[in-house]
Amino acid sequence: MNRTLTAFIKKELTQTLRDVRMRALLFGAPIIQLTIFGLALSTEIKNIKLAVVSQPGDAVFGRVADSFYASGWFVRVGCAPGEDPYELIASGRADAVLLAPKEGLARSAERGDGKMQLLVDASNSTKARAVEAYSKNIIAAAAAREYGARGEPALKFDVRVLYNPAMESSMFLVPGVMGMLVCLITIILTAMSLTREKEMGTFETIVSAPLSDAEVLLGKTVPYILLGLADAALVVLAGYLIFGVPVRGPLWQLALAALALVVNTVSIGTFISTVARNQQQAMLGGFMFLFPAILMSGIMYPVENMPKAVIAAAYLDPLMYFVRLIRNIMLKGGDAYVLWTNLGALALMAVFAAGLAYKRFRQTLN
Amino acid sequence: MNGFNFHRAYSIARKEVMHILRDPFTLTLALGLPVMLVTFFGYAIDYEVRNIRLAVSDRDNGPAARRLKEVFSSSGYFRLVEPGPAGPVEMLDSGRAAAAVFIEPDFSKKIKGGGQAQAQFVLDGSDNSKAAAITGYLPGIQRAAQAKLAAQTIKEPFSAETRFLYNPELNSRWFIVPGLAAIIIGLLAILLTALNVAREWENGSMELLLSTPVRPLEIITGKLAPYGALVLAGVFFVYLVSRLVFGVPFEGSHLLYLAACLLFVTAALSQGLLISVITRQQQVAMQFSMITGLLPSMLLSGFIFPVESMPAFFQYLTMLLPPRWFMAAARGITLKGADLAELAVPFLALGLLSAGMLALAIKKFKTDLE
Repeated sequence: MNRTLTAFIKKELTQTLRDVRMRALLFGAPIIQLTIFGLALSTEIKNIKLAVVSQPGDAVFGRVADSFYASGWFVRVGCAPGEDPYELIASGRADAVLLAPKEGLARSAERGDGKMQLLVDASNSTKARAVEAYSKNIIAAAAAREYGARGEPALKFDVRVLYNPAMESSMFLVPGVMGMLVCLITIILTAMSLTREKEMGTFETIVSAPLSDAEVLLGKTVPYILLGLADAALVVLAGYLIFGVPVRGPLWQLALAALALVVNTVSIGTFISTVARNQQQAMLGGFMFLFPAILMSGIMYPVENMPKAVIAAAYLDPLMYFVRLIRNIMLKGGDAYVLWTNLGALALMAVFAAGLAYKRFRQTLN
Repeated sequence: MNGFNFHRAYSIARKEVMHILRDPFTLTLALGLPVMLVTFFGYAIDYEVRNIRLAVSDRDNGPAARRLKEVFSSSGYFRLVEPGPAGPVEMLDSGRAAAAVFIEPDFSKKIKGGGQAQAQFVLDGSDNSKAAAITGYLPGIQRAAQAKLAAQTIKEPFSAETRFLYNPELNSRWFIVPGLAAIIIGLLAILLTALNVAREWENGSMELLLSTPVRPLEIITGKLAPYGALVLAGVFFVYLVSRLVFGVPFEGSHLLYLAACLLFVTAALSQGLLISVITRQQQVAMQFSMITGLLPSMLLSGFIFPVESMPAFFQYLTMLLPPRWFMAAARGITLKGADLAELAVPFLALGLLSAGMLALAIKKFKTDLE
């Protein structure tokens, strides 16, 4: 490699990493975010506040209620006698209220139509759905216990979850979060730091230096490619050490995928910087790209479930290919078909994005 | 020289508005982001996961196996696909199927004989967006299959009838779209102010401004008010789209909603100001805002992931975050029609946090001058 360029890259790296706050943010923030994702967030609904309204002396209903609390999904909320159950939900003190039939559950069950009522706060529709599903299972089990199982169920599913048998959310999230963080850091940093030079007027100094256009571009972008890769490695390492998220595929595949993504994102960041006139614009422009890219990537919502037009747009999203790649490599051990199709698409996009960024960059230089 | 002079604050605000208007790019993006978010969450994302590709390995080919397959395909959630020559597990490996079901050769015989038949259901645990949904659908599938396969239906001695309050059809848009206001305020108010004020420090114009007779409080008010208005415009836009396009109900008081918005905007603007005073550099300010502003709004506020499901430590931590309280207030007002008495806790918390944040920002701003 040419010596001027190496020196240039070194200078850029030192400049970015000189600020202690920047170092903390670049390397500390991903760890904080990963911890939040891994520890705090889970799609499993827990601690549902349940109140029960029973008739005096209804032992069967009492046992049904107990099995709700014993299930671990529900926490007990007291309900004063004569209190309006709707008021309990309206005030947010309870998420759900289980009401016994007027004559008591024991009596009505013997007649064969024990109908309880379950009031559910559906202002959170996902939670409401989970509450209903849990309740159905708990009540069916309680009914079988009270009155004996009425015949074996004809069908039983033997469910196995591949690649993540315990359904741990950290396993789910680490690969996706890695892609998201790398995108976020590289796009916004690249865009903002290049725009900053323009804002401060130091860009002219660089232009007047004896460097070719390509050298200027490489000198300004390679540091961010390196930083992006370092962050990617950091997230994978932290995921492995803190949460035990495995890397089942070969590391070179992982590195190649990360490199292809980072070249894409740094090019996009460069492109944004050629359009933006100040750092505020660069930041907003970055988000304008990042939000749809993250939402369409399949990290949080399955792509196949989206309307056709959005799916078509998702094929232009580098993050989508990366998420497919990374999940396959880290959790499934790498599949040749997935690797080469997605890596190929990502590489193609990288070449195109880098070319476009170079062209725009030259125009702004001159 | 003492006291707050509205005229001077107004002049600063007017200058700021001119700055914003002179920069149509920023203005477009600042208003474009809310539009994009609303469209995405309202239109593109359907929380009920459908079109799950299910590879079926049917080694029975009997009538019961056929009925089981019908149950899967008629549920509306699954799309059955033939496994390739390499088999269903290979399809999971390569991601061409998200789940697979294996039906044993004697499946129909067992069902016919009145015994219990098993089917193995294997799913891809590498994709969180689908796996959770699939496991959620299975009990329903099992019940439906039970009814179709068994000779006589099992009558339960008791059951519960569920009534969904406030959102009887469980429309996820009603749940997500009202929460978007929190994201938009979190994003725009914190990031824009942090960057904008940090820029003044960065290029030294803050010192210039401070050497004029304008008092610090007037500068703050003048600088923040236009951004507050910009953010509220974004929220208003989200409100219009959610009401007119997505038909999200609004049960409560608009005045109360506005009050909640104003409180949260105050907290967010103060936070942005505080960040800018601490960092004084746009890039650092941006990163700081992301971590203390945007991410908590999106992830720890209950927007998608319920706060009650978090571990105890994080539940306490979220109490320090204004977006959590705003989210509770916004959803309570829009969907439940809650009044101030019912929302006393969120409003009190929001008020306290806003006041605290504002006091902190002003104090830091003033001490930095001396």
